[in-house]
Amino acid sequence: MSPDPGLPHADFLKLLPSDSWDRGTQRCRLGPFALRALGVHLGATLIITLPDGGSCVCTAWPRRDLSDGFIQVDPVCASPGAATGPWGPGQSVPLSSLRAVPCSRLRRVIVWPVLRESLAPSGASSRLSVLEEAQELLRNRPVSVRSVVTAPPGAAGTVAAVHVLGGDPSPEPVGLVTPHTLVELDEAPAPPAPELPVEATLGGLAEAAAELRELLCLPNLHSGALAALGVSVPRGLLLVGPPGVGKTQLVRAVAREARARLLAVSGPELQGARPGETEENVRRVFARARELASKGPALLFIDELDALCPRRGGRHGAPEGRAVAQVLTLLDGVGSERRVLLVAATNRPDALDPALRRPGRLDREIIIGTPTLRQRKDILQVLTSKMPVSSNVDLLHLAEMTTGYVGADLTALCREAAMQAMHHTSKNSEKPVIDAADFFEAFKKIQPSSFRSFVGLTDIKPVSWEQIGGLEDVKVKLKQSVEWPLKFPREFARMGLNPPKGILLYGPPGCAKTTLVRAVATSCHCSFASISAADLFSPFVGDSEKVLAQVFQQARANTPAIVFLDEIDSILGSRSISNTENSIQERVLSVLLNELDGVGLKTIERRGNKLKLQDNSKEKRENEEEEELEFQEIFNQNVMIIAATNRPDVLDDALLRPGRLDKLIYIPPPDQKDRLCILKICTKNTPLGPDVSLENLAAQTCFFSGADLGNLCKEAALLALEENGLEATTVSQEHFLKSLKTVKPSLSHEDLTFWEGFQKQEFSSLQNL
Amino acid sequence: MPPREALPAVQEALKKAFHVVEHQHGLWKSTLSDCSPLLASLSNLAEQLQASQNVRLEETPLRAFPDLKDRLRRKLLAAGDAILDQLGEKLTSLLQVRDTVSSHVEQVFELYEQKADELGLDAVLQPSAVSPSLADMLAWLQDIDRHYRNAYLARKQLVAQIRWGDVRHVQTLPPAWDGMSENGQDLVPDILLNVSFFLAT
Repeated sequence: MSPDPGLPHADFLKLLPSDSWDRGTQRCRLGPFALRALGVHLGATLIITLPDGGSCVCTAWPRRDLSDGFIQVDPVCASPGAATGPWGPGQSVPLSSLRAVPCSRLRRVIVWPVLRESLAPSGASSRLSVLEEAQELLRNRPVSVRSVVTAPPGAAGTVAAVHVLGGDPSPEPVGLVTPHTLVELDEAPAPPAPELPVEATLGGLAEAAAELRELLCLPNLHSGALAALGVSVPRGLLLVGPPGVGKTQLVRAVAREARARLLAVSGPELQGARPGETEENVRRVFARARELASKGPALLFIDELDALCPRRGGRHGAPEGRAVAQVLTLLDGVGSERRVLLVAATNRPDALDPALRRPGRLDREIIIGTPTLRQRKDILQVLTSKMPVSSNVDLLHLAEMTTGYVGADLTALCREAAMQAMHHTSKNSEKPVIDAADFFEAFKKIQPSSFRSFVGLTDIKPVSWEQIGGLEDVKVKLKQSVEWPLKFPREFARMGLNPPKGILLYGPPGCAKTTLVRAVATSCHCSFASISAADLFSPFVGDSEKVLAQVFQQARANTPAIVFLDEIDSILGSRSISNTENSIQERVLSVLLNELDGVGLKTIERRGNKLKLQDNSKEKRENEEEEELEFQEIFNQNVMIIAATNRPDVLDDALLRPGRLDKLIYIPPPDQKDRLCILKICTKNTPLGPDVSLENLAAQTCFFSGADLGNLCKEAALLALEENGLEATTVSQEHFLKSLKTVKPSLSHEDLTFWEGFQKQEFSSLQNL
Repeated sequence: MPPREALPAVQEALKKAFHVVEHQHGLWKSTLSDCSPLLASLSNLAEQLQASQNVRLEETPLRAFPDLKDRLRRKLLAAGDAILDQLGEKLTSLLQVRDTVSSHVEQVFELYEQKADELGLDAVLQPSAVSPSLADMLAWLQDIDRHYRNAYLARKQLVAQIRWGDVRHVQTLPPAWDGMSENGQDLVPDILLNVSFFLAT
């Protein structure tokens, strides 16, 4: 509705709601100027195109105060949907969208009456009374085909509205219903064409969807059998899951597919400001759901139920309690005669009132966890099905990369990738294509939402295995226990191996324990959380334990994941050694032991499709890739922890047994060969003089750890700068030897014997087992 | 000037129509007031019927009379049907009021349609010291017509819903009926007040 520059401003009429005395009269109040411009006399028929796209049929009447520039429309007869929306403030209508039309008298009109559900009478007599009401409603009104004539809200009677289907002569554009017009009733026209099937919009939620569908359709399909069995069907369902996994979308899709009527409200929407308003809103919503249910399967969906029904008796006090009680009583009354299925969604099931979560109210709970690898692939497939994606995009690889992403994150990822594609192609190009590089670029920008409150999430400086000198067998061991289970799950399964739960790296300080872990984190694509004592300890009792439990909960939601505990001896106490009773360290230790090897997972942390796996065993699997995926999925359910310490002797015995930290890897101080490697790496960026013999240095630096060697190289380079001035270009052997005198090794012979002894002791204790 | 001739004709028709409305409104009101006692006695009968169903005649001295319960019921129902017949008559006179008003309103509108082009817009919109504008008066007539039609329809449906099987519903009739009368009862008198000067000239 772009304003015509030729028209003066007065040709825009401000849209106002109609006055109360005009309700139900189908009048359109205009100023004299507009009436004159249209050239109509009183009661003439107008067709008005509304700003939101609908149109309505009205009769022209002057405003009482005869002022210009306003239009008041009483939308009794309007196109479907146009009459329901209240006019937004500040909307205006150009005069050109008002059209005076000649109105012929109708001999016959065919209508479809919509009855008020609450007091619909039954029997043949009702048809007569409905006919009479429809006649009265339509009398002396201009109507147009495919429009709805709504009865004023306060009127008595059963007819709420009539849809005009046709007539003779056809009311196109409008026709006047006179007292002599024959009104005929007809059935509702066939519903519009079926919409898209549910699978097209949902990825990876097949199991939850099946359960919901069953609950929705079962009572309608087998009502007889259910009645014979004397079973009452479930009435409520609770969807639990972290934000963004698609709870709301699932309900909408299933309702659409089952052709059930869906009444969706969100918990916060129902809250009212005045006392009693919330309860009233709740009652109204349930009454509306019951009305819908009288026509067919209906679904009442309350999103964010935790806002409406928090635990009673908390600090919020009485108002919430009343609302919860109202929901409970209504839930008990819901199933009585008419079928309403209540579906509630929340991401904090523990915040709900316990009285809600029992059979008879919310009978079932479906837990939707963060999507697994296969689910992510499905979701990506759905998301990219409508995008022009180039052939080099490997969805499986993308799914592997996006651990911890939920549906909403993946949507954001695809959107961002599309934006990238738009940026790098010319903006107006006809056919933008999204390729793999765009996805990778987007991947850098989109952080999974579950990571946003992740404790211990760290940005790691990437370190490759080659950057660590020596320690070849340690590297192999680490790769074996961390990388292999992730990369070759099939082989592990074939040999009946379980991936290790935890790894303890111990050894003298400065021997690259932390660097090794960094390399591990770099080399395998998985969530990585590093926990230090600073994250855990707090002055509040119980807080540390909670934080640790939370870390594991989050890690499990984002498997495969690695939790790294550096300096574990300071975080955990030892029950066997320390004498203090029940210190924080001991409690943290007990939490860790539980998390590592507890009885099971909490139910709300469940993920993935159990059903799917059982189904698949029956049918022939099609390709190996699928199978591989499946293995990977099952295998990578675990969270692996890596701990590092240089005082393994103070650790609790329970922690060191197999099943917890089942792999103990000793990281020895570097021997001569290793030292040479380390020196080579340390001096990679240093210009060395021709006389420098690293082999010699390696032989001389007995008892030097990796960190000491790094320090030695630094000292030597500094010395070179000091002696030769700032113009120094090379570091000579002499500098190394000089700095050797000042830099002392951090290890000693006693230390080494202690470590060796500890290693042997461990070994022998393992042999004894 | 053409309006000089057309205006008085339409005004005359309006005057006549309002006079008819005034007269018919009196009839409507008196008929309604006649209905109230009928409904009250209907509700009484319903209460008696309920009481007679609830009482255990075997425990009273009246047990000597056989089929007393059925006889009582028949008598009460007969009385009820008589009252319903009277109510039906009243409804017919309400219907007559409605139809009379409707036909007069229709005549006025027909006349206006004929003269609309002669009158022009100014004459229709302009009120004078003694009379509201023609547009207002025409709108009021439409309102009055619609009011009678809706009121009659609602009352007719209320009476049609009476079932002797549903005694409780019959008992709630009088308040429902009165509630209907209060709803919008001032509409016609208010409009008549608005046009009283116009009618007096």
